[in-house]
Amino acid sequence: MHVPRPSLRRRVASSSAGKTASSFTRILLVAIAIGAVGLLVIEILVNGAANSILSNDLTPSVPYFALRTLTRMTIAYAFALAFALAYGIATAMNHRASHVLLPLLDIFQSVPVLGVLPVVFLLILGTGASAPEFNQEVASIILIFTAMAWAPTFGVIAGINAIPTDIKEAAHAYGMHGARYLRQIVLPAVFPELVWSSLLAWGGGWYLIPIEEHVSFGPTQHVDLPGIGKYIAVAATRADLGSALFGLIVLVGIIFAIDRLVWKPLGTRAEKYKYETIAAPRTTATRQSAVGVEVRKYEDRLVSPVLSFFKSERSYAARVLELTRWRRIRHITEKLRFPQRISRIPLWGRLLSYAIFIGLVLLGLIVTIMSRSQSIAIGISLLATDVTAFELAALTLLSLSRLLMAYAIALSWTLGAGILIARSQRLSRLLVPIFDIGQSIPATALFPIVVILLVDPFRNSPLLGFTLNLASVLLILTGMQWYLLFNIVGAVNSVPNDLLEATAAYRIRGRRFVREILIPASFPAILIGSIQAWGGGWNALIVSEYIGPNANVPGLGSFLVQATLPSKNQLLAPLEIYASLLVMTATVLVINRLVWRRLLRKADRYKFEA
Amino acid sequence: MSQPSEPILQIKDVAKIYPGEGKSTTVLDHISFDVYKEFLCIVGPSGCGKSTLLRIIDGLDKPTSGQVLFHGQPITSPSPKVGVIFQTFALIPWKTVLGNVQMAISSTPIAKEEQLKIAQKYIQDVGLEGFESSYPKELSGGMKQRVGIARALALQPEVLLMDEPFSSLDALTAENLRREVLDIWRDPAYPTGSVIMVTHNVQEAVEMADRVVVLSARPAKIVDDVKIDLERPRSPRDPVLYDLADRIISKIS
Repeated sequence: MHVPRPSLRRRVASSSAGKTASSFTRILLVAIAIGAVGLLVIEILVNGAANSILSNDLTPSVPYFALRTLTRMTIAYAFALAFALAYGIATAMNHRASHVLLPLLDIFQSVPVLGVLPVVFLLILGTGASAPEFNQEVASIILIFTAMAWAPTFGVIAGINAIPTDIKEAAHAYGMHGARYLRQIVLPAVFPELVWSSLLAWGGGWYLIPIEEHVSFGPTQHVDLPGIGKYIAVAATRADLGSALFGLIVLVGIIFAIDRLVWKPLGTRAEKYKYETIAAPRTTATRQSAVGVEVRKYEDRLVSPVLSFFKSERSYAARVLELTRWRRIRHITEKLRFPQRISRIPLWGRLLSYAIFIGLVLLGLIVTIMSRSQSIAIGISLLATDVTAFELAALTLLSLSRLLMAYAIALSWTLGAGILIARSQRLSRLLVPIFDIGQSIPATALFPIVVILLVDPFRNSPLLGFTLNLASVLLILTGMQWYLLFNIVGAVNSVPNDLLEATAAYRIRGRRFVREILIPASFPAILIGSIQAWGGGWNALIVSEYIGPNANVPGLGSFLVQATLPSKNQLLAPLEIYASLLVMTATVLVINRLVWRRLLRKADRYKFEA
Repeated sequence: MSQPSEPILQIKDVAKIYPGEGKSTTVLDHISFDVYKEFLCIVGPSGCGKSTLLRIIDGLDKPTSGQVLFHGQPITSPSPKVGVIFQTFALIPWKTVLGNVQMAISSTPIAKEEQLKIAQKYIQDVGLEGFESSYPKELSGGMKQRVGIARALALQPEVLLMDEPFSSLDALTAENLRREVLDIWRDPAYPTGSVIMVTHNVQEAVEMADRVVVLSARPAKIVDDVKIDLERPRSPRDPVLYDLADRIISKIS
């Protein structure tokens, strides 16, 4: 069993230092909890939030809402899982098919999910009278599916590709074929990747929840589904900070519970299924087996939870697991984003995949317009008078500048934090649990709170323009930072043991260690994290630029949202939605190819040999 | 080889215990021996703590009790007079051969150009001339270990520590490198007096060493200390070596 080192543990902290550190963590966690509760209490005292929570007509429905949201997520996940297995097995087992399926998957995952939202609603809900709840539910599940499907699919492909040749040959030599091969070799090989990528999938799903359960769409269409996301969204429209915070806490509570009761035990199990290509470094053999024992203990603790729950939360093994998970997620992200396989694909495959994607978009557009029984030609001439290509380009640049700002902030703090975690056992104890909770909060659930705090108080102030831009950058930041953090911490923790010993033996320490070892070692991870972060950033952009009719900043995101407003021309709306979605996807793809993939090819040297 | 009265390294009563929840694991059980100007091998069954001992000698790990003295001074952190060679080479993938070798002396006050010149010299000495600007990925295992050796030598170390330096290499490459390491060690141009090599390959140990310290399975204790006063170069087929190897193997198992 391969358990990563909790930190670079050069000259490991003695147990007494560990104790002070963990008590420090405890103090800090308590401080944060007090801070959060304090914020709520202040709200209660000043604005009567308790009143607003209690008098909120939706509050009694919260348990039911939570159940509905969870059901929605589970159904979407079941579909995503089935899709991932089918698509992934087809791609990994059929060489010819993979030439098209792989690049197509890459295009799909480049589409910002929140940009797909209006498209899905356009297609499923149609026009006219408000759609019945069943249709809304279907649209919502499809939407969550699009947020969930891609990561596990790449996970399945990666899992199958990781089956060592000798195992494959042995299986065939012993006459394992077809269903038996699938069940006994493929599924177990895919299991760990599926677990870790499912974590990403659920994260993507939770991201949509605060947005897609309660939105207005065009003049007549509303999506209004019972769910915890609706609770938060309604609180936001009422500028009810108390209820918004309450909803957020419930949501994070659900996510946290699922994480501890489902994903952590599954993750622990998944680690046992891993094919290890290299033996663990011998020098740490004793340490590792000790950790193995602890991990098993941790598992037992989970089986008999509640009592030992808080104890295990603080334990060394808990942190090891968290770091394992971050490493695995980094690994998956790498599989998701690494260009080698894609660039090896013949041109016809790439062209065909683009053709299929554009065909799908056109099909959607035609269906949308037909259902409105209007002509595409009229629509396009209308679009040309309403918005010029120059305008679209300018909006794209404005949005890009916001993304760039958020990215700079995200990169600098996560790099710092990653290095601190690597350098200090004490800080690792302190920060890892905090980040673990932080990353589990879907960024979109923070939107209402940022809006209520940063935008609402400035409605009539000349500062509004500034606070709006600030809010937008902050919201984009929340969508970007964790991907970078995961990747950097994962990379910094994957520096091979022998290299650490060599640098220690040759007395490379301090700043030089950071500059010559840690930063170059994280370079590929920074790039991969950046691609992912920009994906998250585009998503966040869509909801961060347009807060209300009198509170928005110009950009591609607000252009898209404005296209869905009731006042929009019925024919123009879908065209503008498709146009902005295409521009966005194209921008993402172009940046990926021009910037990240080029850098990634250079990054090859910075990878450690497997 | 005659031994001067003053030992270079003294391993004094070194013990290593890993604390665990419930029970702790003793890895090294009070190990003591002195190292003179000699080629010393530490052999023992795999997982017995040989490498841990080597790491303690270099100051990479701390003993639970006891200490290691280098010319009478306790070692607490890696010393610039000690070079280390790793089983898995431990080369930095993004540095060239030259960069990897220069890294060893980069913490010294020597000027950068001078460091590069020194690195260049040792790269030539291990027969890698022309590969200075290659990256580790482009080299074979044997060449990688040559880089590792050049890196250790660049320090001009008084003591050279080797952790299973040949066990990641194929038999033929390993044989060649063994001979070259011995040649370098015996060359008076090199200041390296003591070599401590950890290995689980008993044949390799008796072929190379002046003295073999034999450790038992965990918790490791010294079960034998074998002097080998044979002229070099030795023939691997020398029956005396087989007898010595048999003696050591019987102690281990």
